[in-house]
Amino acid sequence: MADIPLTAPRPTRAASKGAWFDPIFQFACLSAATLLLAALGGIIVSLAIGGWPALHKFGLGFFTDTTWNPVTEVYGAAGPIAGTLITSALALILALPIALGVSVFLVEFCPRRAAQPIAIAVELLAGIPSIVYGMWGLFVLAPWFALHVQLPLMMNIPAGSVWEKVFYGVPNGANIFTASLILAVMILPYMAAVFRELFLTVPAQVRESAYGIGCTPFEVVRSVTIPYVRSGMVGVIMLGLGRALGETMAVTFIIGNAHGLPQSLFDSGSTLASTIANEFTEATGEMHTAALTALGLVLFVITFSVLAVARALLLRQRQD
Amino acid sequence: MTKPVSTEFLPHILEPVGESVALRAKGLDFFYGKTQALFGVDLPIVRNQVTALIGPSGCGKSTLLRTFNRMYDLYPGQRATGTIDHEGENLLAVKDIAKLRSRIGMVFQKPTPFPMSIYDNVAFGVRLYESKSRKDMDEVVEKALRRAALWDEVKDKLQASGLSLSGGQQQRLCVARGIAVEPEILLLDEPASALDPISTAKLEQTIGELKSDFTIVIVTHNLGQAARISDNTGFMYLGRMVEFTPTSDMFMKPQAQQTQDYISGRFG
Repeated sequence: MADIPLTAPRPTRAASKGAWFDPIFQFACLSAATLLLAALGGIIVSLAIGGWPALHKFGLGFFTDTTWNPVTEVYGAAGPIAGTLITSALALILALPIALGVSVFLVEFCPRRAAQPIAIAVELLAGIPSIVYGMWGLFVLAPWFALHVQLPLMMNIPAGSVWEKVFYGVPNGANIFTASLILAVMILPYMAAVFRELFLTVPAQVRESAYGIGCTPFEVVRSVTIPYVRSGMVGVIMLGLGRALGETMAVTFIIGNAHGLPQSLFDSGSTLASTIANEFTEATGEMHTAALTALGLVLFVITFSVLAVARALLLRQRQD
Repeated sequence: MTKPVSTEFLPHILEPVGESVALRAKGLDFFYGKTQALFGVDLPIVRNQVTALIGPSGCGKSTLLRTFNRMYDLYPGQRATGTIDHEGENLLAVKDIAKLRSRIGMVFQKPTPFPMSIYDNVAFGVRLYESKSRKDMDEVVEKALRRAALWDEVKDKLQASGLSLSGGQQQRLCVARGIAVEPEILLLDEPASALDPISTAKLEQTIGELKSDFTIVIVTHNLGQAARISDNTGFMYLGRMVEFTPTSDMFMKPQAQQTQDYISGRFG
């Protein structure tokens, strides 16, 4: 090997081999990004155009009127809008404490060897198709709920009390509350998984400092971990809300699909998404289609704004 | 395989004479899972003095520090055997760890202010154990900030976020937070390594003033810092306490060959 020279003339190179490909690569990436934004814009525009006849005819009444009647061609979306907001808010209230509990357990108390598998399981739960939740809700949860919650409540509430109004409803388990329950079950694993990731971003030394001056685990979570990721947590909550707002199949299965404002916790109702899913195949009239498209536009705008706020808050968290 | 050190290993631990000992480690072994990080460490920590722990990276000095307030308890798989005697009690067997940590405070390498106001950062630890009137708490906060040499810089913005301070100020805030709960012992884990020279000088001055009230143990990579601020120094190497003497002795006439090599800059 001794005859290989250790120094050699430096090779001259004309241009780097991949240089010709670079502009094409850049253009391809740019096109992909443009295509996505164009599709998004296209959806908004076509929803607005499709829904325009209904919005034009009913004006603001479209948002405030509770009558939804395909026969007389009178459409007011107050019922589905209220149903969407109520079920999503209820789902959030039900899911939030449990999601917090799960994530705090995983980060703070669970033995490390078990934490990772459990965290993966939670993330897998978040990926179950919503129709599975819907079927479970309709075939299992609703009958059980009707038999073991609704009926006993109806039997035992004194006539004329406020509670009678709150719990009024046909005892078939398909109502606003069970829909919220299903939604809560659906967004729970998702929120728990993201909360966990958020808590893991708290630097170990900050947590150790809190332990270091004599905090118990609860005090660390309450006074340091949670305040440290506060704006991020609001972001996660909004993301969960966004998911709940747009959820279609599971809710359509179990909400009872009644138009108009829900009158009680156990009343049937509808959401924007469930109304569209239920009626699109039968919408023959032009105005009916336009009204459903306008519902889509409303849903799009609500969800888009919620997600935008969520992203902004999560971004702020990362910059802090 | 690393060369077995144990065969030729003879620690030089100079027992402090006529001083009160706040903490004493005896035969302390430490394990990260199956990996042993400390081997039979013996060490006296003298009350109201500054003890510096020096040694090359990975020698176990931070690990040793973290056994003194049981910080390793947060992490399953880490465990210590042997004894750490603290007023006749073995720290390794203490049940109420939160209370133990309120008596043996710790300041970390990077400043770790909590996401709250400067005032609340200092008051936080005190509130965990005592409920004080607003006026008393004000006094506690002022006293702690004064002792940490931060009062003059923050007295007009106590309600500002602790995160708004500069790095050096944040670190002194963490010192103030640590001493506000009046611990007996203060553990400092490379507290100046993330600070600029001016902030470091201020912090060192603070440490010098604190030792009349507290027993201080400081881990440092900076030999000059150890020489400037400490009364006693322990030199660690490969998980063992090689030499423990008054600081002037350590730097003037080190006993062990490894100590000599390290402080003369031959490795580390």
